Amino acid sequence: MLITNIQRFSLNDGPGIRTTIFLKGCNLNCQWCANPENISFEKEKYIKNNIEGIYGKNVTLNELEKEILKDKIYYETGGGVTFSGGEPLLHINELEPLLKRLKKQKINMCIETALMVSQENIKVVLQYIDTFIIDIKILDTNNCKKIIGGDINLYMKNIQTIFEQTQQVIFRIPLIKPYTYNKQNLCKIYEFLDKYKPLKVEIFKTHNLAKSKYESLNKKMIKIEEEISKAEIEEIKTNIAKFNINVEICTF
Amino acid sequence: MKKIIKKYLKIVLTKTNILPYINTFKKIYNKHKRLYKTKKETLKKLKQIRLYKSKNIYKLINNTKVEVDINNHFVYSIDTLKQPIETNRIIGNITVDYERLLNTSLSDFENENNKKLIDSLKRLINKIEKEIKNSNNKYKEKILENLEEIKTSKATTLYSGMQRILFYNQVLWQTGHRLNGLGRLDKILQSLYEQDIKKNILTKENTKELITDFYLTLHKYYWFKSNVLMGDTGQIIILGGKNDDDTYFYNELTYIFIETIKELQIPDPKILLRVSSNNMPKDLIELAVKCIQTGIGCPLFSNDDVIIPKLIDFGYEKQDAYNYVTAACWEPIIPKYSLDQTNIMTINFLKPFNKMLANEDLNKNYTIGEILQKYTNYLKDYCNEVFCTLNKIEWQFDSYLSLLTSGCELEDISIKGAKYNHYGVNSVGLASVVNSIINIKKFVFDEQKYTLEELNNARKNNFNERNDIVDVLKNTENKYGVDNEEIINLTNYITGFVDTIFSEYRNKFNGKLKFGLSSPSYITEAEETDASLDGRKDKEPFTVHISTDSSNAYTELIQFASKLNYSGHRFNGNVVDFIVAPDFIENNFQKFIDFITLSIKVGFFQMQMNVLSSKTLIEAKLHPEQFPNLIVRVWGFSAYFKDLPEEYKEVIIQRALKNEGKM
Ligand code: SF4
Repeated sequence: MLITNIQRFSLNDGPGIRTTIFLKGCNLNCQWCANPENISFEKEKYIKNNIEGIYGKNVTLNELEKEILKDKIYYETGGGVTFSGGEPLLHINELEPLLKRLKKQKINMCIETALMVSQENIKVVLQYIDTFIIDIKILDTNNCKKIIGGDINLYMKNIQTIFEQTQQVIFRIPLIKPYTYNKQNLCKIYEFLDKYKPLKVEIFKTHNLAKSKYESLNKKMIKIEEEISKAEIEEIKTNIAKFNINVEICTF
Repeated sequence: MKKIIKKYLKIVLTKTNILPYINTFKKIYNKHKRLYKTKKETLKKLKQIRLYKSKNIYKLINNTKVEVDINNHFVYSIDTLKQPIETNRIIGNITVDYERLLNTSLSDFENENNKKLIDSLKRLINKIEKEIKNSNNKYKEKILENLEEIKTSKATTLYSGMQRILFYNQVLWQTGHRLNGLGRLDKILQSLYEQDIKKNILTKENTKELITDFYLTLHKYYWFKSNVLMGDTGQIIILGGKNDDDTYFYNELTYIFIETIKELQIPDPKILLRVSSNNMPKDLIELAVKCIQTGIGCPLFSNDDVIIPKLIDFGYEKQDAYNYVTAACWEPIIPKYSLDQTNIMTINFLKPFNKMLANEDLNKNYTIGEILQKYTNYLKDYCNEVFCTLNKIEWQFDSYLSLLTSGCELEDISIKGAKYNHYGVNSVGLASVVNSIINIKKFVFDEQKYTLEELNNARKNNFNERNDIVDVLKNTENKYGVDNEEIINLTNYITGFVDTIFSEYRNKFNGKLKFGLSSPSYITEAEETDASLDGRKDKEPFTVHISTDSSNAYTELIQFASKLNYSGHRFNGNVVDFIVAPDFIENNFQKFIDFITLSIKVGFFQMQMNVLSSKTLIEAKLHPEQFPNLIVRVWGFSAYFKDLPEEYKEVIIQRALKNEGKM
């Protein structure tokens, strides 16, 4: 299993105190991605503060399990493990034996996904995952294809499948002008939320904390043309709350 | 300074041994320097300094000058120009039996030995009474009653009890004792509080007013009470705690003490909350976290579930162990009847390690096991030197402390000792040793990137022009503070070795010796320690207590700390030290409470938090005048940031930056 990081005491990736596993490899290419080191499926060399290193480390499922269980006692108040990435659903076949074992041990499991993957993968994880954390990015078919290289129809089908089985869904909306934050996309998002009511919606501004990661990979990070203001975020919050949805502005 | 001393010493030159005079004088001079802006003012004051022999402590008390406040519920006055001559070390860093003092009058203590002393205390009370009578203090009638009671009866109200604690505490400072703890005040004052509430002579609001003045009163001589650095007063109040039937003790006073300090926002006195995973109310932890969140650096958490069993195993009686308090910072001690001196000196784990590197022929093909073996040989020699130093310590004759200590009525505590007479030391440099060994294993043996000699030569040169090596040595994943079996085992192996060596030691009272991993001297000791194979350069500060220099997850550090072995002689204060960004707690309040609650269960020994943002600190360093009230936790105490020496400011800034991932 190729991972880039295991983050313990993770408080923003689902309920309670969690350990987040970052799996390496993604099928999309969001220009604002906060984890650019997780996009390629291969190990990558980097240089940071003049020290060379490699993003990506092969671990066995046993090793992963051991790391996850280290903080088991902290999971008592609803926490557990979150698989993130990259796109963790692309690794699901490899991961499944671990999910099975963790399920047996009653470890709460979340997956953080952009959901533009084949339906087969979704069916596999539905048996194990307690909470889905799903991105809402660009809902227009053409723009989605063009800007992030994703298939929105596949996404919609997957959403349908998930909601048929569980309401345990948190939507996450990265707000970035002009890609996700524009009138047309926001309208679509509201419509979408009216139809699929999740446990919670988390909205957040993208930030430039990942800048040093881009630099270490010798990649360029997009310039954020226009910052989203506090008032604009608040407005979105109010709009979403109108659908009787619990919505939170995240600052991570 | 020399000139000043010469001039002053004219008065005392006839005395035989003048060194203690000089040293005591210097100490008083340095403290007054903090208070007076110009040298002239300071010197003027110095002329009034009077020093007294410890045998004549009653004379000192008789000659104490008294000043009273107008707007305070209490009187509390220290004549900072009168002190005993420190011919020997003065017993300090303890908590006296305030409970007994509340329940007995001064007259009850009287016996043939202490008549002069008791008389002097009564006279001091009379003197204060006179001052108060002539003052405009708005509470003077009540204060007079409270003072009178000290002489003749037990304390009858909460108000009077608090005045009494302050009186005895004032005299402790007056007679040269340092780092005076206040004890379990919520417990000690409980019955008086409940009785007053029942009798309707007190409300919760009044109590808060009293406690506010109580704190402010203790804070009054901040500059004089501060030991090495401003803020280091050792005025610690212990709250909450497990009972011996495993229930959790707390009461309304526990809350009021925390609420009041939270609102007052002063760095001293400080509070420590004894915590337990058994039946501790959640709202008490919430209140404590809210207090920490304000940035004042307290309360510190001390985990009864872990500590009490260690105390019992060590040999403290069960009821005493359950009643533990701590010395100035963290070191668990038994109040009432102990001469436990837990902060006598610091052991430096790195010194013997570096000595080994300097002395041994590193060309030989040692295995890592042999290196560890060699280290323990050097460590053993080092410990033996520590024993020699400890054996030389003589304690100053101390009739006042003897009066306050149960069981010392007939023979002086400095000669006979008390019920418990253990010594304790703090430590620095363990993280450096562990990381050095791990680095040698990795880079010399496993990867063969360097030879040991090559590394050691670079080290001896303070890594001059070899910053590449520093980068490599510092940037390993596996290091002290990481929840990794190899690291934990190595750490426990080293502390276990010292534990065995320490078990052979007995002091002259037949007391034992304990040590802990808290490291108040992380800067001062480092100044005398050369570079090390963890990539640390000459004089570079050591790791602070149990912490890491990387931005590890908090749970990881807690798991690491909880897996360390604190048994045997290893329980002399082991605090995990975190830096937390101010909005971190606010944004994740409930999860943070869960974190604390579950960490108690995981089993940390003690935990303290500094809530800081690097941005504020950097600005405060540049413009101290704009941040007069910014408080930080330094080692075991809180202080105003502006009062700290620059190197301490810098360390705190660096740690905040690392915590925020900015370094
Ligand atoms: S889906 Fe997520 S991981 Fe993949 S590129 Fe987009 S933001 Fe990055």
